[in-house]
Parts: sequence; C-alpha cells; structure tokens
Amino acid sequence: MLEGRGLGKSFGQARALDDVSLTISEGEVVAITGPSGAGKSTLLHCLAGVVRPESGEVLLDGRRIDALPEPESTKVRRESFGVVFQFGELVPELTAVENVALPLLFSRRGRQEAMAAAAEWLARLEVTGCADQRIGELSGGQRQRVAVARALVTGPRVVFADEPTGALDTIGGEQVMSALISAARAGRAAVVLVTHDNRVAAYADREVALRDGSVLAGVQR
Amino acid sequence: MTTGHVLLGFLVERAKHGYELKKEHDHRLAGAKPLAYGQVYATLQRLQRDGLAEVAETRQEGGPERVLYAITENGRAELERWLNAVEPSAPYVASPLFARVAVAGKDADGYLVRQREAHLARMRELTAEKASGSPAQVLAADYALHHLDADLRWIETALARMKEHDDA
Amino acid sequence: MITVLRMLNRGRSRAERVRAWLVAAGAAVAAFLVCTAVSLADFDDEGGSLTGLGLALLAVPVAGLLHQANRLASATRERRLAALRLAGASPGDVRRLGALEGGLLALGGSFGGGVIYVVSHLSGPLLPVPVVVVVVTLGGVVSGARAGRHVVASPLGVVRRVRMRGPRMRDLLLFGMGVGCFVLGAVVKGKFPYVGAYGSVVLMAAGLVLLLFGVTLAATWAIRAHARRVGRRARSAEALLAARLVEADPRAWARALAVVSLTVFFGAMAGAQQAVVGYSQAHALVDVALLVALVTSAVALVVHQAEELIDLRRSFSALAASGVPEGALGGVLVRQAVIAASPVCVVAAVSGVAVVVVTTIDIYQVQWLGWAAGRAVVMAGMGVLAAVLVAVAARPLLRGALSTYVRA
Ligand SMILES: Nc1ncnc2c1ncn2[C@@H]1O[C@H](COP(=O)(O)OP(=O)(O)OP(=O)(O)O)[C@@H](O)[C@H]1O
Ligand SMILES: [Mg+2]
Repeated sequence: MLEGRGLGKSFGQARALDDVSLTISEGEVVAITGPSGAGKSTLLHCLAGVVRPESGEVLLDGRRIDALPEPESTKVRRESFGVVFQFGELVPELTAVENVALPLLFSRRGRQEAMAAAAEWLARLEVTGCADQRIGELSGGQRQRVAVARALVTGPRVVFADEPTGALDTIGGEQVMSALISAARAGRAAVVLVTHDNRVAAYADREVALRDGSVLAGVQR
Repeated sequence: MTTGHVLLGFLVERAKHGYELKKEHDHRLAGAKPLAYGQVYATLQRLQRDGLAEVAETRQEGGPERVLYAITENGRAELERWLNAVEPSAPYVASPLFARVAVAGKDADGYLVRQREAHLARMRELTAEKASGSPAQVLAADYALHHLDADLRWIETALARMKEHDDA
Repeated sequence: MITVLRMLNRGRSRAERVRAWLVAAGAAVAAFLVCTAVSLADFDDEGGSLTGLGLALLAVPVAGLLHQANRLASATRERRLAALRLAGASPGDVRRLGALEGGLLALGGSFGGGVIYVVSHLSGPLLPVPVVVVVVTLGGVVSGARAGRHVVASPLGVVRRVRMRGPRMRDLLLFGMGVGCFVLGAVVKGKFPYVGAYGSVVLMAAGLVLLLFGVTLAATWAIRAHARRVGRRARSAEALLAARLVEADPRAWARALAVVSLTVFFGAMAGAQQAVVGYSQAHALVDVALLVALVTSAVALVVHQAEELIDLRRSFSALAASGVPEGALGGVLVRQAVIAASPVCVVAAVSGVAVVVVTTIDIYQVQWLGWAAGRAVVMAGMGVLAAVLVAVAARPLLRGALSTYVRA
C-alpha cells in the first residue's frame, strides 16, 4: 500500500538515507529501529511526505506522492496519514478534546460532530476524566494518548509515530503502545513506528533495522 | 532447591495433594516450565526427609492412594529464611549466548544477528500474549521481556564493538 | 560581567541585532518626544500645553514598546540565559546582565534622541535634555532587569511553560482610580484647594495617565471575555485555535495592543475635541503624532507576533506535519489579531470620546457627537486593520517557524 523505493537523502556531507526500500501493507505494524543518527526519523519524514527525498520515490496505492505540489501533499497527509511525535506536540492552549477535534475541524467538519467524535476517541483511549483539561495539566502518558487519538480521529490509512514513548516510563509507554496498536488495528490503519527500544519494537509485526542510513542486511523480512 | 521452597510456600495455606501442588505451581508461575509429576513427588519426599514437610493423611478410596502433605515448624522457618534472603547479584556470567561469542570471537556476528532475530520474534509473541493474559501471565511476560531486552542490548553493543574493532 | 556581555553579543543572530536597534531607536524617539513636550509645556498657552501633554503621553507607549523589545530579547536568548544559570550564574547575575544591556542601549538611544532635539530646537530650553536622557536610561535598566524574570526563576526556563496569564484585579483598580481623579478634576475645575491655579489640571493629567494605563491593562479583561465568547461559538478550527490562543494569554495581547489602543484613544479624543473648536494647527500636530504612534504600534505588534511564533513553533509545525495547510495556520494569526484587537479598539474609542464629552458636558452639543463618533469609528477600524496587516505580514515568519519538523 505504502512503498518507498530507493530513498536517498543527504544533509550536507552526511548521508542520512542511502537507497532504502520498503513496502508497508494494509494494516501492518512496522518498526524502524536503529541507533541514534541511523536515519530513522529521516526515513519516517520521507514516507510521511514531510521531507522530500533527493532520490527514489514514495508511492501510496501505486500513486507517487513524493513529488506532489505542496497543497496536494498537504491534502494527502491530512486525509491518509496521522502522526504522533515524541512529546505529543499538542497545542497547549487547547483542551484535550479540542486538540483531538482539531484535524476534523480543519477538514471542515461541523463543530458538534467533531467534538463528539473526539470525545469518543478519548473514551476509547481511556482519557475521559481529563477531556476538558488543558494539555499542560495532563501527565506525559495522558498527553501521548491524546496525541494518539488526534492521529487516529480522521481514520487515516497510515499512522506515523516517532519515538511515541520516548519520554515515558515502562508502564506509561506500555499503555500508550497498546492503545496505539489496538486502536490502529481496529481502524485497519498501518503503523510506522520509529523507536530504539526493543520492547516497543516488539509491538510491531516486523522490523526494519537501519544502520548508517541503510537497511541492515538479513534483518528485513 | 527453589522448587522445594515454592511448594513449601503453597503448603502454608493448608495441607495439599501432590496433584494440587502441580496445578498451583503451573498456574502461579505462569511463564515457568511446567512441573512433571515425578519431580513433584521427588521434591516432596526430599522435604519430608529433611523434616520440612510431613504426611498429614493417607486415604485410599478405591482409586489410587491419595497422600495429603503439610508443612512442619522447621519448614515454616526455612520458608521464612528463603523469602527474606537476597539473591546473589550475578556473581558469574553464565549464559550459553555469551559462551558462544567467547568461543567464536569476531566470527560470532552472523550468529548474533540470527540470535537477535530469534529474541525479537519471542518478544513479539510475549507482547501479543500480554494483551489477553492473566495478571500472573503479564508479570511473567514482563520478566521475560526485560531479560530478552537486556540480551538484545548486549548483542547490539557486542556487534557495534566488533565493527569498531574491524574498522580500527 | 562586561566580558560575559561581550561574549553573548559576539554570538548573536541577525534577529537580535535588529532588536538592539529597535530598543535604541525606541529610546531615541521617547527622548525626543519628551524633550519636545517639555519645551511646549507653556503654562500661558493652553493649546500648546495640551499638545505637550499629548506628546508626553505618547512617550508612554514608546516606553511600552521598549520594554517589549527587551522582553523579546529574553525570549530569544532564553536558552542561552538558562545555560548561563546552569553554568553557575546567580539570578542576580542574569538580572544585572539584562539591566546592563537594556541600560546601555537606552543610553545610546536617548542620547541620540537628545542630540536630534538640541539640533532641531537650538532656541528652546536645553536644561531638560540631560534629565530626560537619565530618566530614559534608567527606564532601560529597569526594563532590562525585569525582562529576564522567568529565566531567573528557573534555569530550566527553556521548558515550555503553560501560558495561562490571566487579568489582574490591580489593573481594574488603576482604571477606577484614573476615572476618579479625572472626574474629580473636571468637577471641581478652578476651585481646587492645592497647587494653585493648575491644581485641577495636574489632577486631571494624573487621572489621564492612570486612565491610560488602566485602559490598556483592563483591556486584558475585555480581550479574555471576547476570546471566550468566540471560542465557545467557533465553528472552524482556525477560529477555535485563535480564540483559545488569545484566551490563554490575554495579557500579552493587551501589552502588544497598548500602543494601538492609546492611538485609538487619542484619535477619538482629538476627534471629539475638533468637533467643538474646529480644526486648528494644534490638531494637525496631534494628528501627526498619532500617525507616528500608529507606526510605533505596528512595530509593537510585529514584536509580539515574533514572540508568539517562537512559542507556537512546536505545536504549529506538528500540525503542519499532519496535513494542516500553511494558509490555515496563517488564518489563525489573522483571526487572533481580530479577536484581540476589536474589543480593545472599541473600548479605547469609546473612552476617548467619553473623556472629552464628560469634561465639557456643560457645553457639549448633541450635533457634535456625529463628527466625534465618525472619528472614533475610523480610529477603531484603523487599529484593528493595523493588527490584521501585521498578522498578514507575519506569514513569512510563520513559514520559518514551521520548519521544525519540515526540515528540507
Ligand atoms: N536538518 C538536518 N540538518 C543536518 N543534518 C541532519 C538533519 N536532520 C538529520 N540530519 C542528520 O542525518 C542523520 C540521520 O538523522 P535522523 O534524525 O534521521 O536520525 P535518527 O535515527 O532519527 O536518530 P535519533 O534516534 O537520535 O533520533 C544524522 O547524521 C543527522 O545528523
Ligand atoms: Mg529521530
């Protein structure tokens, strides 16, 4: 469904990605692992259309999306993708439920409908008690679950998560991960998970290990 | 002598049959290897010999002989001592994984990559099991996951060191 | 201390150099305005002293701008100051560093302003010039020392704080006191027991100053209430986001809009007065001053917008990464400007007209209100428009801020 072919990207002298290819099928959970600086985030950003690769191509359902003009690329991201970052990166001035409703509102859905859908997602991720609290008043784990809800509320085809548990302890990370995986599976969304924690990678169906910008031989299956 | 201590622990509550003890062991130590009947009876006999357990009642109602075991005062004291004793903190490195690498040296990298795969596959299984497991099973899976993770991190470090060595 | 300051200066970015120029230029304008005002304050000529008073009051918003520029400095340098704290600088050291920098810039600026005044007013009284320079420099010192407060409080100040700075009771009190003094002065007029013939004028002037501070600060309440209302009814994501952002920090908006609201206030006041006595030379001068003030207010807003974007960078770039078009985020900026500026401008315009009408209630005629109201509406519209234009102009800045995740 989502495919990267021969992706390459450099930052000055540094070769961040070197001829990386991978295919992600419908509803599959893939972990991208590797040591710091291996190019994990760069690969994720290329696949998610946030960064343009220098070489290679990205295809969604067989259609090239890496060279689209910015408005269309934005549209693809909004309609087909969801993202979760390490620190949630929610809008701190909005309440939890408003944060989740935001993508729907930007897609021009009505306020009533958007708020209702957002509340439902928060309930599914077990963050009901603090739906009307501002983000600053939530714990790290709650914040990440709100971020997961925000990524999934539009019913995306793929959810990209860059170190979603990076700032959490074991139990908190576990709650976020099981919430993310079960919600994604229920919505039949694929997940691309960047992590350097093996226990987080174990939530995936398979692993793509990167070293110095290339896929580690023998590990991708 | 851990199995002996575990069985003593189960006997504190009341006297039990060997069969009952086996079931309880397999249920409460969810991740552990299931006990064989032979091992249960051998352990109980050893406890009896050392005066830590005794036969409370023998009954035979048509079927096979049913022996009910109980804990003794000495047994309670030994159990108490064991529960409070601190495990020695890794006095030796004893792992077939480490031994292989020690023998193979730099040529172990192929093996390490395969071992890493196997560990990860097992971690995936355990993680999937956790989603629907009982509390005891979750605890056991956590234990195994953390140990496998420690192995994995060691494997990754070892691979990096070997590469460093090659480059130098 | 000087060495550390020099080290910090060597590594500073273009934005920080621009800010330094802003502070110095602001100080120059403030010094020039105050010197001119003092020279105009001729007790024998009522029109002249009125203009002088107006000019002196315009120095207040300029001072506000100065303080804001100093605050921006602390926002952009926050990381480095925090690093200084972690490296062992005491809160006092950081404060002294800010004071030194603010003071030096203000000294340079006000000296320049004083020189310009002296050159252009060779005949006028020169005595107040050094006094004004000293006062403005002191202002720079105080503002520089206060600007780095939150870094002073915590070396980990870089951690994004939850911004919920609500209005304060104190602001309303100021407003009330201003109204009180002003009305009292207007009522007793010539029969004031203290300070001779000018007693009631002094009282009224003091009331006016208090009122001005009060209006800008009390604007916090109006802004928050308005933002709440808009937020509750918002149907689009842009409106909701804009309303909540304004609601979370109405004080920053009130501060940024202080100059705008003063301009609108004076404009409305001047309009109401022109309706009474007809357009004269003094009014033309006031209008020129208003124009200057409007430009200053735009600068204050730009500074605020930049500060705001630094704060919003992370959450906005995450939104952009998840497919929110840049245009929509630009729309949020514009809506914020409208939400915050409209209550402020309306309040300022109404109180501007009210001040004139209340003081001359015995002679004010109803038909004059037409001209007065017309000017008030025009001034309020100009104020909101200025805010919106700045927000539109900030779009390129937004693009830069969004590059946190979009790293190509
Ligand atoms: N914007 C950038 N400018 C310059 N170099 C960059 C940029 N982004 C990434 N790099 C470089 O590209 C390489 C890969 O970076 P990337 O962020 O993808 O690594 P990563 O695997 O995500 O690491 P981490 O686990 O630390 O997040 C690194 O060498 C990094 O220095
Ligand atoms: Mg990364």
